[in-house]
Formats: sequence, C-alpha cells, structure tokens
Amino acid sequence: MGLLERVQRVIVSRGLIPKIMAQLPKISIIFVAISILMIAILPMDGQYRNTYISENALMPSQAYSYFRETEWNIVRGYRNELVHMENSTSRERNQIMESWLNEFGVKTQIYENRDNEVLYGVFHAPRGDGTEAIVLAVPWFNVDGEFNTNGAAVGVALARYFSRWPVWSKNIIVVFSENPDSALRSWVEAYYTSLDLTGGSIEAAIVLDSPGENDYFDYLEVYYDGLNGELPNLDLVNIGIYIAEHEGMRVSLHGTPFDQIKENNYWTRLKILVASIQSSAFSGLTKTHGNEAFSGWRIQSITLKTKGNSGPLDITCFGRVPEAMFRSINNLLEKFHQSFFFYLLLAPRQFVSISSYLPSAVILSVAFVIAFMDSYINNPSFALPFFSNYTLIPAIVWTVTLVACFILAQLFLILPIPSLLLLINIVISISSIIIQNKKLFKPAVSNRLRSFAFLHLSLILTSLLMVNFPLSFMIGLMAFPMTKVRSITANTAPQIKLENIILLMISNPFIALIIYNNVSSNSGLQGLQGLRVINRLISAWKDMRCWTWFVLCLGWLPSWIMVAISVIENEREPTSHDVKKNE
Amino acid sequence: MFKRNATCLIFTTLLLFSRICYGQESNYSIYKNDNTEQLEEFRNSNTTSEVESSSSTVITASEDGSFPEGIQEPPLDPSITIQEGLSYPFREKLYVKPLPNNDLLTSFQFKMNSEEFAPSISSLNYGQYNHFTVFPKAIESVLHRTDTRQLHLRFTRGFWDAETWGRLPHDGFKSGGNGVELWAIIEAESKDNAYSKWKTLANSLSGLFCASINFIDSSKTTYPVTSFQPDNDQGLPVFANSKNQLYLIRAALANEPICTENLTPFLKLLPTKGKSGISTFLDGHKVFDSSWHSLSVDVITNCDVNQDKCKYETDAVVDMVTHVPYSLARNKNPIPKPLPAEQLRCDTNKPYDAFQCFPLPESTETEFDLSQIFGKTIKGSSMMSDIPSHICAIITSKWDVSIKVNGELFGTDDNCFELDGMDEYDLYLASSDTSDVTTLNEEVPLHVSRSLTGYGQDHGGLRTVFQNPTPMPITAIYFESLPWYMRLYLSSLKLESIDSSNLQLEDVIDSVYYNSAIDHKRPSHLEYTITIPANTTLAISCQFDKALLHFADYPPDANHGFEIESAVITVIKPFKYQIRTETLLLSLSTPDFSMPYNVIIITSTVIGLIYGTLYNLLVKKVVRVEQADKLIEQQAGLKKKLVAVVLKLKSKVVDRIKQKKVINFYI
Repeated sequence: MGLLERVQRVIVSRGLIPKIMAQLPKISIIFVAISILMIAILPMDGQYRNTYISENALMPSQAYSYFRETEWNIVRGYRNELVHMENSTSRERNQIMESWLNEFGVKTQIYENRDNEVLYGVFHAPRGDGTEAIVLAVPWFNVDGEFNTNGAAVGVALARYFSRWPVWSKNIIVVFSENPDSALRSWVEAYYTSLDLTGGSIEAAIVLDSPGENDYFDYLEVYYDGLNGELPNLDLVNIGIYIAEHEGMRVSLHGTPFDQIKENNYWTRLKILVASIQSSAFSGLTKTHGNEAFSGWRIQSITLKTKGNSGPLDITCFGRVPEAMFRSINNLLEKFHQSFFFYLLLAPRQFVSISSYLPSAVILSVAFVIAFMDSYINNPSFALPFFSNYTLIPAIVWTVTLVACFILAQLFLILPIPSLLLLINIVISISSIIIQNKKLFKPAVSNRLRSFAFLHLSLILTSLLMVNFPLSFMIGLMAFPMTKVRSITANTAPQIKLENIILLMISNPFIALIIYNNVSSNSGLQGLQGLRVINRLISAWKDMRCWTWFVLCLGWLPSWIMVAISVIENEREPTSHDVKKNE
Repeated sequence: MFKRNATCLIFTTLLLFSRICYGQESNYSIYKNDNTEQLEEFRNSNTTSEVESSSSTVITASEDGSFPEGIQEPPLDPSITIQEGLSYPFREKLYVKPLPNNDLLTSFQFKMNSEEFAPSISSLNYGQYNHFTVFPKAIESVLHRTDTRQLHLRFTRGFWDAETWGRLPHDGFKSGGNGVELWAIIEAESKDNAYSKWKTLANSLSGLFCASINFIDSSKTTYPVTSFQPDNDQGLPVFANSKNQLYLIRAALANEPICTENLTPFLKLLPTKGKSGISTFLDGHKVFDSSWHSLSVDVITNCDVNQDKCKYETDAVVDMVTHVPYSLARNKNPIPKPLPAEQLRCDTNKPYDAFQCFPLPESTETEFDLSQIFGKTIKGSSMMSDIPSHICAIITSKWDVSIKVNGELFGTDDNCFELDGMDEYDLYLASSDTSDVTTLNEEVPLHVSRSLTGYGQDHGGLRTVFQNPTPMPITAIYFESLPWYMRLYLSSLKLESIDSSNLQLEDVIDSVYYNSAIDHKRPSHLEYTITIPANTTLAISCQFDKALLHFADYPPDANHGFEIESAVITVIKPFKYQIRTETLLLSLSTPDFSMPYNVIIITSTVIGLIYGTLYNLLVKKVVRVEQADKLIEQQAGLKKKLVAVVLKLKSKVVDRIKQKKVINFYI
C-alpha cells in the first residue's frame, strides 16, 4: 500500500490527473490501437497453441476406413442417375432419392416448409438406444447455386454403406434440403418442434458440399462458423481436419487458395485470423455453407467442401472423411464438452483460445467508456448538477430512441426496403445541416446525450463480447469514429460541421456495413454487392434466427442516433451565471 | 459399471452361500450316486428340491467329458438313464417367423411351473418342505421373502420397426421399453411396507440378473392405477391375513445396457441351463448382435381358492430380430468390407461396367440353416419335460422349412417339429420370395412416437404422436412416469390434430390420473385414457421446466444427459395390445464442475479487499496530505529519540542480565 500511496502522491503533486483528463480523446485512440495490437500479436510464435484432441474417446482415424474400392462403383452408379436430376423439380428429385433410401431400410419422410420440401431419413442404430443422432446433410444446391452432384452421390452411398455396419450407437439421419441455409434451417427447427419421425437429439452434423461430377478434387475446405458467435466444439473441427490430413488432403480455412495452404508464417496466420473474425462476425449475412443451419440446440456442425477438379484425391477419399468422423462421434458417450467452444483458428492446426483474445475486446469497450468520460467531464457543463433537466432530457431521448429503433427494426422486418433505410440514416447524419438555428438542446444536454450514447454502446459491447467476440470487436472498431464528433454552435466553423457529417456517415451501422462490404475484398461478404447486405441482414433473422440485425438496430443504431442528434446546432454555452441560477 | 459388477458379485456369492446352507446335501448326494431309483424316490418324497436335481444329471454328464463334441456320441453315461414317465412341468417352444426386408423373428418360450403348495403354511415351519422341481429356487426364495405374488421383468434393447415388421411378438405383452423394466404385485400391510419389500425385491433381482435394478428407488417407482393390471384377480389371494393388501408397483431404468451378463443368469433359471433343448441356441454373441431383442421373465402365483393350493408359474421368453443377409455375411467376414466387384449386385438396366454400379436392393431369394444365424445347433431335447421341445415356423407358401436331424432333412405339413431324441437338430429355411411373409396381414392398431422439443436448457416440451392406421377407433391407456427434474405443466397439455380434423383435447382424452412429482422422492406419474378416431393422426404435447440439480445429483457422466424412460401405451379396445415409445435423452444444464474453485478464489479475494478497505476506514484517521507529511516528519523526529532511548535501555538491561547470569553460574 505504501508504494501505491507514493505513486498517488506523485500523480497528485505533478497534477497528472487534470492533464490525463485533458488527454482523454487521445487516450481512447491509444486504447483502440492497443486493442488492435493485441489481436495482431496473436499470430506470433508463442502466442498461439497447436490444436489437440481433447476428448480421448474420439480417436479419429484409429479404425480403418472401408469406404473405398467397390464403394466407388456405387458412388458412380448413383451419380450417373443424379446428373440428370439438376433440372427436375425438387419433388421428383426427393421422390427418387426417397425410393433409394427406403431400399436399404432408412425410414424417410418429407418435410414441407414455406417454400420447398426437405427429404430426410432416419436409420435406426441396431445396437443403440435411439436417443441420439448424427446428421449427414446434403443440400441439393450449394451456396453458390451449383448442383451438388458429387455431394448427393457420396451422401446416399455413405448412407447405404452405414446401414451395413452394426457398430452404430447413435441413429443416423440423412437430410436432403433444397439449399444450405433457409431450407436446412427450417428442417432443423421443425425437427425440434413438429416432426413426427425423429431419431433423438442431434449430437453432430456434417454437411457435404461437392458440386460437379468429377472423380477427383484438389483439396478440402472446412467451414465451421456458427450463427450468433456460436462455434462447434473445437474437437469436432479438429477431428475433421485430422482425418482429412490423415487421408492425404490439404485443408483450407476461410478460402485460403491452394498454393498458400502450405505456407505457415506470421502473415498467413494473421490473414486467417482476420478472416475468421470477419466471417464469424458476419456469419449468417455471408455465404451460408450449411453448418450455420445447425447452430443452437447443442449441435456441433461443420461443412466439408471439395475444391478443384484435377487433383490426386478421389471422391471416395472425400467420403472417408465423414465416414471416419461418424465413427469418431459414434464413440462418444457424453456430449462434446471437453474442448473449447470459443476459439479462433490461425491455421488448420493452430488456434488461440478465448483468454488470449478477449482482453482486446474489453479494451475496445473501455475506449468507449473513456469517450463517455470525455464527453461528460471535459466541458463547462460538468459543473452542472447530475440530477437535473440536463440529465433527464438525454435519458428521455435515449428511451425514445431505443423504442423508435425497436419499431424501426420490426417495421423493416415486414418491409425490407434497403434504400429507404439508407435514406433515413443519411438524413439523420446530415440533420445538423437541415435543422439550423432551431437551438434544439442546450450544450450541456448535447454533451450528456453523447455520454449516454457512448455508455450505451460500451455496455452493449461488453455484454456482447462474451457471447460473440467477433461481432463486438467489429462493431467497436466500426463505430469508433463517432466518438470524435464535436458539438457545434452557431459560430462553429463549417469545416467542423462537415467533419462531423463524415464521421457520422462512416460510423453509421448500415452505411458502414455497405461501405465495408463493397470496399473490402476479403470481407467474406463477397457476392453481396450494393445494398443487398441489408436484405441479407433481415433475411438472416427471418430464416436463420441470426441476431445481428437486432444487435445493430438496438445496440449500435440508438447510440449513433443520439450522437447525430447531439451535433444539431446548440444554444450558446452556459455561462457561470446560468450555473449559479440553476444552483 | 464397477458398482454394478460389485453388487452382482456380492449377490451371486450370497446366493451360492444360501444354496449350500439350505439343506442341499441330499441333492448333491443323489446325483453323486447317479442312481435312478434314488432319483425317483427323491422325486416322490417331499424333501427340498431344486432345479438342479433333474438337470444336474445332464450337466454332470456333459462336464464329465465322456463325449467331447456335444451329443453326437451316445448321449449319456449309460449309468444315467431317464426313468420312463419321469417328467416335470417344463415346456419350451421356438417360433421362427420371417419378417419383411429379410428380417427374421425368433421367439424362445420357456414355461416352468412349481409343484403345488399350501399358501397358509409357512415354509419356514420345520417338517414342511416345498417341492419346486423345475421352478427356479432362486426366484422362489425372493418371492417368498418379499411376499411377491406376481413378478414381471423385461430386458429390451433396439428399435421395433412396427411399420415394416408389424405387431410386436405376444402383442407387446412380453417386451419392455429400451432398458430394464420391472413391475410386481406385492402383498403388504401398508404402502410403506410394500415399498420396503419392493426395494428388497429389486436388490435381490439386481444380484440375480447382474443388472443395476438396485438403482430403483422411490424417485423412480410408481404405483400404476389403470395400466399393468393383472389379467384376472382370482389367482391373487392374500396369503397372510385379510388386513393385507396387494400393491402394484412399477419402475423402469431407461437405456440400461443389456448384455451377456444378463443372459447368462437368465439361462441359469432354466432347468436345461442352455445345455440342451432349444436354449442351446442362445449365445450372447448372437442374441445381442440382433437388431432388436427382448428378454422377459413373468412369474405369477396361480391359486385354487377352493383347495387352498397354489403354484408358481414362470414364463421366460427371449425374442429377437435378426437381419439374415448381414448375419450370414458376418459368418464369412466379420467386417462388412466393400464387396469384390464380381459380387456386387448391379442394376443392369442402368449404366454398368467395371467402374460403375447402381446397386440393386437385397436379393429376395434365400436359403439358410438356423445354425448359421445362431452359430450352434440344437443339442437334443429337454428330456425332463412332460412335452418335448417344439419348433414352429410361421411361414407362407413361398417358404420351405424342414428340420435337420443329424444332417438329414425332414418336413411336416404344419411346419412344426417335435424334438424327441438326443440328436443334433437344426432348422433349414429357404424361400424364393422373402418379401412374402405372414406379418403382411397383421394390423398394428397404433403407432406411437414421442420426442423432446424446444430450444435451450431451461424448458422444453414433450410431444407424442398417435397414429391410428386402422378403420376403427382405438382406445388406449397412456402411462408415463417422468423424473422429478422434468417439471411438467399439465395445464399446457395440448392437442395438435395433424389431419386437420378439428379435434379437441376433451374429445380424445377420457380420464386423467396425475400424481405430481416430489423433488428427489417421487416421479411425475401421468395416466390417461385416449381414444383415437379411425385413420387419424394426432399429437399431444406438454411443456415442462428443467430443474437445476444439486451438484451431487449429477451422475459421473453428467454431460451424457438424463435418460427418460419410455411411455407405455396399452390398447384396450378393440383388442389388447401394448406398445412402448422410444426412450429419450434429456439434457439439463450441466455446471462446469471446476468452477466452484474459481468462485471460491474470486470470492475470497473480493472479501479480502473489502475487509481491508473497511478496516482501514474504521481504524485509521483521515488527514490531508500536508498534515500527513507533517505528522510523518514529526514521527521521524520522535522515532529517532525513541530509538536512542530504547537502545540505551536495552544495553543496560543486557548488562544486568549478563551480570546476573555470571552470578548464577558461580552459585
């Protein structure tokens, strides 16, 4: 305590506190820099860890995989029939597939959702107790709209192959959905609400994505991001990668091109780290590969996708990966719980756990707290009492804004018109030019309005960072420019007004997202040009129950609106006379 | 598992011990002498007997090593012959019934009756002996000790595919839900007394069958009201005094693994001990390799009220379904490896060459011996029973069946065979169209499936779908016993009519019995009578909350989930039939069990900090910095003076002491 006291003495005697107080805006920038730096050092040697199989029961690739030799003939046999089915209707396709599945004793049913039909079949494990299931999902068309010929052929051949094995302790469910997002998600939701044919709680799901009818492929891509910051247990991702590498495949994460897979240095790791933060933050908005559909209900899921068509690997090799994964998962007595649920992958076999990356998001949200302190303390209105109209008005504005944002969020769910949403936001950001000489608020109110805004966002970010670190981090970074707007009065230079408008524009949730999406090459949002990302935000909530829309509308947007209102031209600064009068 | 083995061991030891204690000497002496006259005499006399008495002759013969390979040699030691006309009330039958999709149902049925006894006289009286012959004595002693009048035990595992296979064997009255199921009728003075007898019964059976039945406690036990009622009440007299009542008690252990350690004690109950007769087929490797199997033991007390005579009747049944092609393939190669290209069955109408093959469904032609499925042949008949062993095949005209006696084939008109010698028997089955089976005409009255619904760890739903495929309304009793940590909301019971016929809950459910759960003590017990209109599918759902358990309530594998036993549906109109739903796995929120340590550490730190601050605030004086500095300076001055004084004093004292010590030394 003596040391602390001495330090405090020095701080007091040097008058550091007022100095620090004066520098709060700079300190908040420094905090943001530290936060980014903390992420940037993660790919350095010594900061990350190699992956390992935590659950001993899994034993990936310990049993010999027999999906080979003449099984290839059968895959080809099914594929010959499937190639003609691309243009047939979903009902025809499902009926043919259903007849194939029934031949080897799989109980099938067709689930009809809003738009299309999902075929699924349950193979009851002969020796299991029938309370748990593993899902093999095959979307008829993959995320890019390509017909999943090889995927479906391997899927049905694997189901046939599985039915001959007596080893299963968990039921096996095969699902053929029209697409990998809304149709598959609607099936999973129905499975846990209204389906009559069920096979117990789903433990894990593997989605097969292998378009085309080539016998060979180059490498394997693994997708694992869940919705709302959920990730599959690291053990599942690990067994997928271990088995694939055991079969001699190269595994690529987040779209790393084939020629770069081999490299493993700081920059490649950083690239994958950034990509995994981005894709996890925007999962649901980005391309949904199928594994996202299973997010929730304690289901662990990944998507396996073949890439290229010239390589040395054949299609049964691709089938052996789910086969060995099924064998591994089948060994489990308990649910996946041993390994990490929160992690970032840097390379297929390297990861950082939550304790390494979480502090950076904490520091980012502290930057907003500092911005709050700055807007509250560093102005003459600090001397005004807290319990007064100067606080009451911002509190009312905050409540009204929150309610308005909620109504807005609900309205746009019904009427998804991105251009209208964009227009509203642009109008709000230039409102300081439109509304002039109206003297809306007193400067004290305007300052406190801003403090409320920053405090609100900081609280939202802090509570979000535990559940969805990537989203919290990305919102923190993208919303940060709005802490730099300044109050304006009648005699403020127009330059500052312009600056304010630019800052507000780039920190608006929707404008920022659209800019980010259209500018960034590696945002993971490719294919969503123009305003489509807004549509996607809304449909992600409707189809997939991805909360990002509400986080933006109820977390980011209210505080942005409050900041935008606060910069509308003020009355004159309160004088000491006013202060006295108030007291 | 360890615990289970341990109890098993303890109980078998106890049983062994009790067997030796209870006057078995006479028994042993008889078979050592191998004297048939004595054996006959033994049978007629009213001395204590046991199952071993008759069957042990067979066992000793086979264990003597007089014939190495089964009973191909002259079956028995010439000195051991079976007395003409010597027979016991033991019957065994084997039914073989092909099912669609190349599956085969085999049903082994054993009936064992005890000799008549007078219920009013306690067997503990000296001079009173009971004679049980083929009836398992181990069971008798348990029944006697716990005043059990009826005992029903089920070990079942697998999925009965009613849509394909049709009705359950014995209309479902001889099979349980996945796991172990036990119900009994116990005579007792009060419910508490009945429960303590029930507990004894469960513990004894646990040892007898090497199963975890001892885990049955009050939180799993229910007293069924309308389900599980005995067929006729006449055969259930109250033995002791008229104040006593009969209690029907039931419990089930969902998903309890069933394995060879349960089959072996089961076979030990039979007088043939699995050494001769149809029970020679029962090999653990094959029984538990089947798609569905069920072992059941039913003991009832049948009394003739007028004559004051009672006897125990035991039905022991093993039912199993085997997928024949896989079973035959496994004989050739235990691992279902990819077939060689020439053995693939390809559709020749579709593109087909050395690289591609569109697979055909399984062949509908078949030809096999039953020994290929069971890995053994039948060794002789059960020679002590009054009726020889019976084998029947329930088949259509597309099937051929004949019995193989020492390698020679014989057929009969009714496809039933009697095994009346000590030969080697086998059954030969062949068909040109295996899809033509007798079950196709059987009508399953009701399909019921149950599933858990909902998202998250704090609440969920239970959804049961009833499908009536018949053109007549079906009335059934739905019985469900749910653990206390599923907090059922009966008010949320809702009907969802799937066929869009505007049915209301009141239209289908007639009477509801509900006994709510008590934490740790009693399960929720729900029974209702439901009538499902003809050709209708409807679903009944109910919401529940998931309780938080005490940390000690979690099982060692807490992350597996909690087993929920199957619901039992007893069809009462238009005919009797019983089905059980699938078991379920409920996942409750599971704490991270290392967390308490972190919590303790954080709490201690926080408390420490708060204490320190509070203490300082209470004890120390708050002064301004300037004052504090001044004080410190003053203190420094004082301190110096003080130190000087202390040092001076100290040197003086030390000197004194030294002097004193010197003086003392000299004194």
